[in-house]
Amino acid sequence: MTDPLALDPVLPERERSRLPFNQERSHDERYRAFEEHVLAGGKVEAGDWMPDEYRTSVLRFVEMHANSELMGVLPERDWILRAPTLRRKLALTAKIQDEVGHAQLLYRVAEDLGKPREAMIDDLLAGRTKFHNVFHYPTRTWADIGVIAWLVDAAAIVAQQALRDSSYAPYARTMKKICWEESVHIMHGRDVVVTLAAGTPAQRAMVQEALDRWWPPLMQMHGPRSDRAKDRDLYWRIKAKTSEELRQEFLGIYVPRVRELGLTLPDPELRLDPDTHQWRYAEPDWAELRSVVTGHGPASEARIGFRVAQREETRWVRETILGPVMAA
Amino acid sequence: MTVQAGRRAGIEPGALDSALQAPLGELLLALADDDFVLGFADSEWTGIAPHLEEDVAMSSLAQDELGHASAYYGLLAGLTAGDADRIAYDRPAEAFRHCRLVDHGRGDWARTMTRRWLYDTANAVRLEALAGSTDRLLADLVVKVRREETYHLLHGEAWLERLASHAGEPRRRLLEALELVGPDAPSVLAPLPDEAALVAAGIQPIPSVELIERWSARIGPVLAGLGLALPPAAPAALDPATARSGHGPAFLALYTEFSLVRGLDRAATW
Amino acid sequence: MLPGRAAGAPEPGDAPVGGPGLEPFEVFRQEREGEPMRHGGSVVAPDPTLALHYARELYSRRGESLRLWVIRRADIVELDDQDLLNPPLDRSFKKPGGYVMRDKLAQARERTGQAKRVASTGRRPKPPAAAGEAEQG
Repeated sequence: MTDPLALDPVLPERERSRLPFNQERSHDERYRAFEEHVLAGGKVEAGDWMPDEYRTSVLRFVEMHANSELMGVLPERDWILRAPTLRRKLALTAKIQDEVGHAQLLYRVAEDLGKPREAMIDDLLAGRTKFHNVFHYPTRTWADIGVIAWLVDAAAIVAQQALRDSSYAPYARTMKKICWEESVHIMHGRDVVVTLAAGTPAQRAMVQEALDRWWPPLMQMHGPRSDRAKDRDLYWRIKAKTSEELRQEFLGIYVPRVRELGLTLPDPELRLDPDTHQWRYAEPDWAELRSVVTGHGPASEARIGFRVAQREETRWVRETILGPVMAA
Repeated sequence: MTVQAGRRAGIEPGALDSALQAPLGELLLALADDDFVLGFADSEWTGIAPHLEEDVAMSSLAQDELGHASAYYGLLAGLTAGDADRIAYDRPAEAFRHCRLVDHGRGDWARTMTRRWLYDTANAVRLEALAGSTDRLLADLVVKVRREETYHLLHGEAWLERLASHAGEPRRRLLEALELVGPDAPSVLAPLPDEAALVAAGIQPIPSVELIERWSARIGPVLAGLGLALPPAAPAALDPATARSGHGPAFLALYTEFSLVRGLDRAATW
Repeated sequence: MLPGRAAGAPEPGDAPVGGPGLEPFEVFRQEREGEPMRHGGSVVAPDPTLALHYARELYSRRGESLRLWVIRRADIVELDDQDLLNPPLDRSFKKPGGYVMRDKLAQARERTGQAKRVASTGRRPKPPAAAGEAEQG
C-alpha cells in the first residue's frame, strides 16, 4: 500500500495516479516525467514512483537530519540535572524531549523510504553516516546551554524553514511541525543568554566565553559555499537554499541580536558590506569541519561511545517487550 | 469513602492558625520533594530511553512531576514568604524530605517503571484524600494535579503488565526491582511527624494508617493478578523519624549535580 | 477511559501483553472543535495501548489536539483503483456543475418579462461563470 503519510497528500489520490511517472511506462519515460514534475515545483509522496537517485538522496538527507536530532540530544542532556532553577529545568527537559520527538518524526519519514530505524542507528554508531558538526563539541558551562538553544537552533531553523518547501512532501510536512516546535527553543535559549548577559560580571564572562568557543563551529555549520549548478539536492528541490544563502540569512538576523547585548563575536572581519548587502567574514576552517563530521571532533568519540553503551543498557527491553519492527 | 471538597469549612488563604503553619509546611515539602526527586531521576531517561517514542513519554512524566513539585514549592513559598527556587535548590541535602522510595537512584528501566507504578498508585491515594483538604489552596491544586496523574497511572500499569508478563529478563528484572524498592514503597504514605495536628485540622483529612490500608487493598489484587507480591514494608519506611530523612548516596550525588550551576552564585539570577 | 486498553490484567503464564513486535500506527488528530480528523503522522508501538500513549506524546504534548484516532497501519483498507473511484464515463448528472442552464434561464425570463431580475434564491448575483453553480441552492 502507499504510505499513509500520503493520506493527506498535496494532490488528491486520483490525480496522483494520473501523474505520468506513476503509470506503467519505460523507466526513461518515467524518469523524464518525474524530473519535469519536480523541476516545475511538483511534490513527491512516499507512494509515488521515484528514480533511485532521488530516493537515495532524500533518504541520505533525512537520515542525517534524524541522526543530528538524536545526537544533538547529548550535549544538552549533560545539563538536565544541573539546570539552576525549576523553570530552566522544565524548559531544558522539554527542549531535549522535542529533539527526541523530532528524531522520531524524521526516522519515521526515513523508515517509510525503506530503511529500518535500527539499521540507521547501527550505521550512525558505526560511523557510516554523519551528524551535524556542532554536536561533536563538548559543553563546558551553563552558558553553552543558552548559546546552543539560541544560536545552534537558530542556524538549524533557518535551514529547516527552507525545507518546508522540499519536493519530498512527507519531509516538508514534518518540517512544518518541527519549525513550529523549535521556535520555542530559540526563545528559551535567548532568555538564558540575555539573563546571563544582564547578570553578574562572572555570568557575563561565562556567556562571552561560550560564544567565543561556539562561533567557529556555528560559521561552519551550513557547510562551505557550493556551486548551485552542481548541487543535486538543490536540483531535485530536496532543499531550496545553498549553504551560503543560509549562512547569510543567519548572520543577518542574529549578529545584530548578539551585538545589542554588548557581546562580541570572535571574528574581526565580520561586517555587513553596505554595497553588496552581504556579510563578510573570515574564512571558516573547512578542514576542521571535514575532520569533525567524520568523527574526529573533540567529543565525537565520547558521544558515540555513550550512545553505544546506553543502547546496550536497554537492548533487553527492545528485544523482549517491544520486539523487532515488523513491516506493514 | 471519599472526602468531598467543599463540604468542610475551608481554611481560606491567610486564615491559617499559626500553630498549623509548620505542620502544613512539612506536608507541602514532603509532596514537593517527592515529585522533585522522582522528576529528576525520570528526567535522566530523556534522550536514552529504550525506544524513541517511549523516550518522549518518559520525559513528559518527568516534566509533570517537576511541574507539580514547582506548584507545591510555590504554595510553600506563599506560606513562608519565601521563593520557590530558593526552597527547591538552596537547602542543605539533609533538609530534603522526599520519601525513601524515591531515594534509590534511577536504576534500569525495570526499576524505573516499578518505582513509578508504586509511587503513582500510592500518590493517587494520598492526593485523593488531599483533594478534600480544609486548606483551600492545597485542595485546589491537588484537584488539578490529580487530572495529570491519570496518565501516569495508565502508563505505569501498562509497563508493569508488560514487564510481568514477559518471562525471562523482563520479569527477572522486575522481581529484582520489586525486592529492592518494594520494602520502601509505603514511605510515600508514612505519617509526618506532626500528622496528628494536620488530621485534627482536616488539612490531611485521612490518617496515614488508613491511607496505607487503602493503597494495599488497591494494589494487592493487581500484583496478585500478575503473580507478584509486595515484599513486607521496611520498618524505616513507616517510621516518621526515618521515612523521609537519612538520604543515601544516590540522592547526595544528585544534589551535587543540581547544585553545580546554581551553587556558583546563589544570589545571582539564572 | 482510553480506548484500546488491554482488558483486565493477564494471568501469569498467559501470552505476554503486547504484540510480537513493533508496528506502525497512524495518528489522526482534530485540532479544533468542528474540524475534521486529519492525518498527523505515525508512531511505532508493540500494541494499541502503547501506541495511544505515544500518539499523545508525539501529537499533543503541547496540547495541540482535541482528539486523536490511532489505527494500525495494517488495518487501513485502501482503495486507489481509478476504475472504481473515478469511472471513465460521464457522471456529470451527479454534480452541480453538470447543470448549466444560464441560456435557458435567460430565455425563460425574457418570456415573462423579468429579464433583469435575479432568480429568487436570495443570493447575491454571481459572475456569469458561476451561474450554473448559483442554482444549486
